Amino acid sequence: MMVDIYLVGVGGQGIITASRVIGDAAILGGENVLLSETHGMAQRGGAVVCTARIGDVQSPLIPDGGADLILSFELLETLRSLCKANSGTAVITSTERIVPLSVSTQKLKYPTAEEVELKVERIAKRFLSIDARKLAEESAVPMSSNIVMVGALAGTGITGLERRHFEKAIEMNLPHWVHENLDAFAKGFEATSRWNRA
Amino acid sequence: MDRVLDAKPGTKVLLLGNEAIARGALEAGVGIATTYPGTPASEIGDALARVAKDAGIYFEYSTNEMVATEMAIGAAASGVRALVSMKHVGVNVAADALMTFAYTGTRGGFVLVTADDPSCHSSQNEQDNRYYALLGGIPLLEPSSPQECYEMTKEAFELSERLELPVILRTTTRISHVRGPVVVGRIVQGLKKKEFIKDPKRFVTVPAVARARHLVLLERLREAERLSEESHLNKVRRIGTGARIGVITSSAAFNYVADAAKTLGVSVDVLKLGFPHPLPNRLVIDFLKNHDRVAVVEELEPILETSVRAVAQHESIGTKIVGKADGILPRAYEFDQAIVASGLARAFGLRGDEAKEAVIDLQSLPVRPPVLCAGCPHSAAYFAVNKATNRKAIFASDIGCYTLGVAPPYNTADLLVCMGSSVGTAGGLAKVNEQPVIAFIGDSTFFHAGIPGLINGVHNGHKFLLMILDNRTTAMTGHQPHPASDTGPSCCDVTPVSIEEVVKGCGVRWLRVVDPYDIKTTTETVKEALRQEGVSVIIARRECALIAKRDEKGAILKKHEIDQEDCKKCRTCVDKFQCPAISSMDKVQTIDEALCAGCGVCAQVCPHKAIKETR
Repeated sequence: MMVDIYLVGVGGQGIITASRVIGDAAILGGENVLLSETHGMAQRGGAVVCTARIGDVQSPLIPDGGADLILSFELLETLRSLCKANSGTAVITSTERIVPLSVSTQKLKYPTAEEVELKVERIAKRFLSIDARKLAEESAVPMSSNIVMVGALAGTGITGLERRHFEKAIEMNLPHWVHENLDAFAKGFEATSRWNRA
Repeated sequence: MDRVLDAKPGTKVLLLGNEAIARGALEAGVGIATTYPGTPASEIGDALARVAKDAGIYFEYSTNEMVATEMAIGAAASGVRALVSMKHVGVNVAADALMTFAYTGTRGGFVLVTADDPSCHSSQNEQDNRYYALLGGIPLLEPSSPQECYEMTKEAFELSERLELPVILRTTTRISHVRGPVVVGRIVQGLKKKEFIKDPKRFVTVPAVARARHLVLLERLREAERLSEESHLNKVRRIGTGARIGVITSSAAFNYVADAAKTLGVSVDVLKLGFPHPLPNRLVIDFLKNHDRVAVVEELEPILETSVRAVAQHESIGTKIVGKADGILPRAYEFDQAIVASGLARAFGLRGDEAKEAVIDLQSLPVRPPVLCAGCPHSAAYFAVNKATNRKAIFASDIGCYTLGVAPPYNTADLLVCMGSSVGTAGGLAKVNEQPVIAFIGDSTFFHAGIPGLINGVHNGHKFLLMILDNRTTAMTGHQPHPASDTGPSCCDVTPVSIEEVVKGCGVRWLRVVDPYDIKTTTETVKEALRQEGVSVIIARRECALIAKRDEKGAILKKHEIDQEDCKKCRTCVDKFQCPAISSMDKVQTIDEALCAGCGVCAQVCPHKAIKETR
């Protein structure tokens, strides 16, 4: 089995932490895994891309059109990630919008949620958007929207990993806020397990 | 629990390539480790800084890569195992020491890690540091996975002691910054102290000694080649069911070859070189003779390719060799599986998988380049400088977060080449230009390479303003300490060195310290500085906003919002002061409370007093 997950968003959203949780879950599940991270020079405000390849792989990067699942933490970055999608790709996006300075200063246009939806659905058949920030705020740690997204990924069952492996990986990586993050994880998990039944 | 230090022997842990190198060094019994931080190498030092005390090793963030290397040389010449790590351009700084250290050789294992950066993800060039191994006559190891990072670090120490030579461990971004499973072994307490045994005929490279030692180096390199021939790090891996076609490769490129061959469904033999310099000639000859067609697949420079072609010519082997010279693979930028698959398809006359379904015009999307953070004191300093100079100045910039001032609306970088270059180039710019010249340098970079330029400017009477943008840390690479810091790695106490005292000691007569958040004072001080003769210095001091936020010192600052009734939509806040917390959509400017650091600079910038403190 081989699953290629492409994680995208903006610096500061906790994408690298999310990818580490996925990586640890894979190892706990007895799978091979490779993660890579590409962050711009800034700690905040630049686009961040992580890849997680689970299974029998050697190279960490996902070629264009090669992702099985795109997990996007930000609406504009969802569009930017679509070069990695094919018709079989599942796309989960957070509806969060972080307006880049190019929109503010050069007056470029930030796409509307409807535009994003239309473009994603032209390529990928399976698409779901969730309000990860709102779900995170409900779990008492607003910063845990990244773990909501991990929960959403786990809920799809696409990785073939068990829920308990993700939960253990959360304990390993976020030892100070385990309870809150497990709650956030559960909220994300629920959001996509409904999606799969539909 | 720290997974680098506490992972139990025999267990499988997820480690970053850089962390795996740190673990390998601890298992090799490293006694001393030094670095100057630089992406993609930084996490090697960060991991060791964290665990140094518990691991019982000495670790330091040195002033620059040259000093880091010299520190490690001193220890290794005594017989203690030493690791020094840096990014690729850091080796340019260290090269002076390194080239001659190959002549004296070492007693304790000496490993220099260079993390190269194909595609310049966070660098000013994409130089291929394998050339340093060739240039210096230094054995080279190249891992291709976190597991190999870990194993080869241990191997590198063994090899170094066996040959009494420094060894280079070369990674790239996609090795350093990949996380994968690593099965670890036992941490070993190595020697921490060793008496230096004097041997000036070896260790003091006056010309007579150097001439003799060059012959020793050449002899050792012959021995190194023999070890390379025998090394299990160089081996043929068969993909598929045996083939007349072959690939010679190393490092990250090996991974792309392995996956691409599977994608293409092609059987191929791969000579993977984990110990590529000195080149295992015999191995290469046999491989060429056993294959009709061989592709050399390597990122960046055609170093292996040139060597392999030379071997074939020397041995009169007729095997068709293809590579960059044939244009099947590019010489610039990082590879990926698709690039290598299409290269292999062309090399072997196969049909590549050209199918691509994505149909989106990426060019049309708003870009999201890295920017100075919300509350960054550099933003405030740049705003004040532009106000003071009316943008009629030449800006010599340097390496660090503040380089991002190159982008609009600040445009405060006109010339930049390397660490410390702002001060030196400012002198040259000032000599031949009538406009005022302002050099910017960060606090860490000032210590790294700025001081000689400052001394040069003072001594030779150059006229420019040096602004030391002091945010109290090495922010760009992940907030490592530097010589002015009062805390250091876990093992050791540090003594802060005062930037002011250094500046005065260099002979600067006119020096001011300002808080960049105070726009008015900073602006007036810049104007005054530009009226001085000779070199004037302003230290713009304010802690990095990310650190202030993390420590919750930011709590003393007040968050701000835009009063939409008072806002005249003049856009000064977005067009002249670029704060990522202030966004402008549909002609309305707003402040994102989650991003706002509370610096209050925007309130000073707004001409209509529409930006106000929130409770």
